[in-house]
Amino acid sequence: MRVGVIGVGCSKFGRRDDVTIQELSYEAVKEALDDAGISRDDVDVSVVGSVNSRGYELMPAVLVNEYCGFTGKGPIRVEAACASGAAAVYTAFTSIASGVADVAIAIGVEKMTEVDTATSLAIGGRAGNYLWEFHQYGTTFPAYYAIHASAHMAKYGTTEEQLAKVAVKAHRNAAKNPKAHFQKEISVEDVLNSRYITYPLKLYDCSPISDGSSAAILASEEKIKEMGIDDVVWIESVGYASDTSNMTRRESFVGLKATVLAKEMAYRRAGIEDPVKEFDIATVHDCFTIAEIMAYEDLGFCRKGEGGRLIESGETDLGGKIPVNTFGGLKAKGHPLAATGVAMVYEIVKQLRGEAGELQVDLKNYKGLLHNVGGTGHFAYVMVLRR
Amino acid sequence: MFIESRELLMKHKIPVAKTEKYWKGLEEGKVYKTVCKNCGEEYYPPRAECLCGGEVEWAEIDGEGVVEAFTTVHRIPAGFEWHENPYTITIARFGNVRVMGWAENVKVGDKVRLKTGKDETGVWKVYFEVV
Ligand SMILES: [Zn+2]
Repeated sequence: MRVGVIGVGCSKFGRRDDVTIQELSYEAVKEALDDAGISRDDVDVSVVGSVNSRGYELMPAVLVNEYCGFTGKGPIRVEAACASGAAAVYTAFTSIASGVADVAIAIGVEKMTEVDTATSLAIGGRAGNYLWEFHQYGTTFPAYYAIHASAHMAKYGTTEEQLAKVAVKAHRNAAKNPKAHFQKEISVEDVLNSRYITYPLKLYDCSPISDGSSAAILASEEKIKEMGIDDVVWIESVGYASDTSNMTRRESFVGLKATVLAKEMAYRRAGIEDPVKEFDIATVHDCFTIAEIMAYEDLGFCRKGEGGRLIESGETDLGGKIPVNTFGGLKAKGHPLAATGVAMVYEIVKQLRGEAGELQVDLKNYKGLLHNVGGTGHFAYVMVLRR
Repeated sequence: MFIESRELLMKHKIPVAKTEKYWKGLEEGKVYKTVCKNCGEEYYPPRAECLCGGEVEWAEIDGEGVVEAFTTVHRIPAGFEWHENPYTITIARFGNVRVMGWAENVKVGDKVRLKTGKDETGVWKVYFEVV
């Protein structure tokens, strides 16, 4: 059963002191329903992706579901750390592909700014294996990626300037995206002069702590025909994988094995051989600048070790061979954990429909790539979308 | 306008019965891994059950290791405020296992030795010394 995306929505990302988690969710859900041109009654099941380990509502799915008007239709709550959004889309996808549902909505939502930064770091630092890592060594989420950066720099000569260029590109795109957390361009010097959060990562190498929501409505091919919807972005394939909770049990620190495995599954199923030629747009998981460099390599945009040179070449900018994170990426658009993966679907759908305004990419193959990582490669989802 | 939530504090009692040898070992200056007698798989952090179903034995990790990655944490998380200065989390390889520890002035490729120690909050852990 082919599954297509028929509607997408995304809230303004950033510090959202004006809304609760359920109110924030509804912003994306309303937009997605309007975009699809269907009513709430047409939806068979809702899937709520939310990590919400910083929230006061410890079990937010029912609140979100009720506020959005889906009481009685699910919710299924999914959690896959920072990949909870893609996991929600995957769950909606399989509920339709299995024939159980005709129409499903995936909602990704996160309120991260209600606690202070030191608490937020202590929660993120528990994303690996609490007892064996945070408890003893005070890991933080940025620290996990900085560990990878140190290894990548030592092995391949990747430089802090190259990392900075990822941030500069992200901010350049985000400045043109009114929904992005940051709306300001920055320079390589700004990044290099910012303070260390965790060596070698500096403030501007890190995605901000953001609130946000996003939603995607999926439907079966049969139902899409029945509803008379003709502008559809199809989910061509989905790949998923995971890796160890403990960093010390990883095979290497210069890439994420979960990304490689998820990519192989997704590319094989969709027959992708040359990603740079075949995709018009890619959204990759750039929670930190080093994460985008590793993603280039792990997703096959370049060989291992050449990610630093790829960002320098400008080929991942708008107008390049493979524009990456055109809406500003996690780095500058913001990274409200579970909202991120669904917002990637939003970005790819907008781009493939030609609705991305100033940030529009050239459309040749009408194919987009989604790459959403949970934790530090603890989970990975890779999806191929096609209009 | 905001309403402040009621405070919720959680402190957990973490069962370590199956890895007690490890935690007691730290107090004696020893760092243990487990090794499966059947398939040879080595575990660090140690686990008391091998997935092959074989029996594991405890083995001390010692000698020289090689630093594979590290980071110096400047923005310190809640729970570590007592550590006023940045600390360096290091991962070093010792044979077939990798070990996390705190170290000073390390870089990737450095040779290190293990020692154990208790921090100011009474938590025992691994420290590396550059050889
Ligand atoms: Zn075994």
